Amino acid sequence: MSKKGSADLVYILGDAFRSLRENVGTTILTSFTLAFSLAIFSLFVFVITNLNAVVEGWGERTQMIVYVKDASVAQADALKQAVLKVPGVKSAEYVSKEKALAELKEELKGHESILDGVDANPLPASFEVRVADEFNQPERIAEVAGRIKALEWAEDVQYSREWVEKLSSFIRFIQFAAIAVGVFLGAATLFIISNTIRLAVYARKDEIEIMKLVGASDMYVKAPFVLEGLLQGFFGGLLALCVLALGRYAVLGEIPAYLRFAVEMPFSTPVFLAFLIGAGMLMGVAGSLISMNRFLKV
Amino acid sequence: MIQMFHVSKSYEGGVPALVDVTLKIPKGDFLFITGPSGAGKSTLLKIMFGSEAPTEGQIILDGRNYVRIPSAELPELRRRIGFVFQDFKLLPNKTVFENVALSLKVMGVAPSDVKRRVARMLSYVKLQHRANFKPLQLSGGEQQRVAIARALVKDPAIILADEPTGNLDPSLSVQIIELFREVSSRGTTVVVATHDKMLIEKYARRTVALEGGRLIG
Repeated sequence: MSKKGSADLVYILGDAFRSLRENVGTTILTSFTLAFSLAIFSLFVFVITNLNAVVEGWGERTQMIVYVKDASVAQADALKQAVLKVPGVKSAEYVSKEKALAELKEELKGHESILDGVDANPLPASFEVRVADEFNQPERIAEVAGRIKALEWAEDVQYSREWVEKLSSFIRFIQFAAIAVGVFLGAATLFIISNTIRLAVYARKDEIEIMKLVGASDMYVKAPFVLEGLLQGFFGGLLALCVLALGRYAVLGEIPAYLRFAVEMPFSTPVFLAFLIGAGMLMGVAGSLISMNRFLKV
Repeated sequence: MIQMFHVSKSYEGGVPALVDVTLKIPKGDFLFITGPSGAGKSTLLKIMFGSEAPTEGQIILDGRNYVRIPSAELPELRRRIGFVFQDFKLLPNKTVFENVALSLKVMGVAPSDVKRRVARMLSYVKLQHRANFKPLQLSGGEQQRVAIARALVKDPAIILADEPTGNLDPSLSVQIIELFREVSSRGTTVVVATHDKMLIEKYARRTVALEGGRLIG
């Protein structure tokens, strides 16, 4: 019995490799289809991931400045605690009068003479406040600003309402567009890949039928297709990375410097390669198995 | 041993292919199924082979009763049945040897046994000199013999043949039927569907006729 079983496996693998040799043209063609489809989808993921990172970076910046009345400057530490207690405040950084002046001087470098007539430090101390992510919406920021302003030592609270509103609607738009385009592009990718595989399987439907009619188990019939699917996925994933790298190299010169960040690889290369190969193999194998299913019913 | 009880088959939107067929084929029998084309001969064979399910009725194969043969049991069943198809169903990109060997390989027969049995079967159907040819390099009669060799090589309990002489000249037809008779004399059940009157008159021990899907004698 065990002899029979091992002969089974020998035949299954032997036939699978033989079939691979016979269908090497189709396998290469399918690998390329997989490669280009995966590359296009990956490029989209890169751009979106990079844009998202940039946009989120904007949100990380100081969102609010609270000016402190000169009379209260002495209790800076206590004030900071008070600001941090306001709901929605994530962090607060104290900028003393001296530091504010130093920063101003730094900004005026070369034109320090402007300050020549100023004896006392006219600049107020302030807190640079960041709000928690869940408060990063126009109405809620206004709410936080209102609470801080109500503190008796707060001279004034400054934040750009317009900027916050634009930023948050822009982030929403980007995320919506990314999902919409991603869905369409993903569907198109799957459609192209599944059609290519379906045609390749269709070309061999007689072979599948005959194997079944002489008593081959489904596993025996499927094995060559699974093997081919795995190899197509492997080479497709590998090729996709090459296409991306070559494509980036070819167009980089044409992209203005301030937009180049969008085509940088946002992930570690080995991880992304593993992802491409994994996705390719999954599509190759699943596509073959799904396409051949109806031919197995004879 | 094949038994069919009140088997009917109808295709969606078409005339019924089989109507209430009850049939017993004892082990080692050599049975001709005759009738004009469209009478339901192929459908009857396909139901015995499990590639079509009857709409009604039951079928007993090797003592097992099926209303419908489960797809998981199909491979095992087909390894015990040799089917000779009207259109041969040979793999065009494989050699004659590989085509015949396929039905042993799917059963997991050891490679040395496969070689020996295929060689013996090819000389039995007088095709040993064609072992390395591809099917399309052969004549119709030779292809038919490859198909028969593939069905016989696994020593099946049952041979089902659908118009096995349809493409052959009379002298070749006689050779092929002689081959089946020999197999049958060794205990294999053989069922041949044909509309070839000459063969029936010359060889028939037992014949059932189909017309419009019904058994008429």
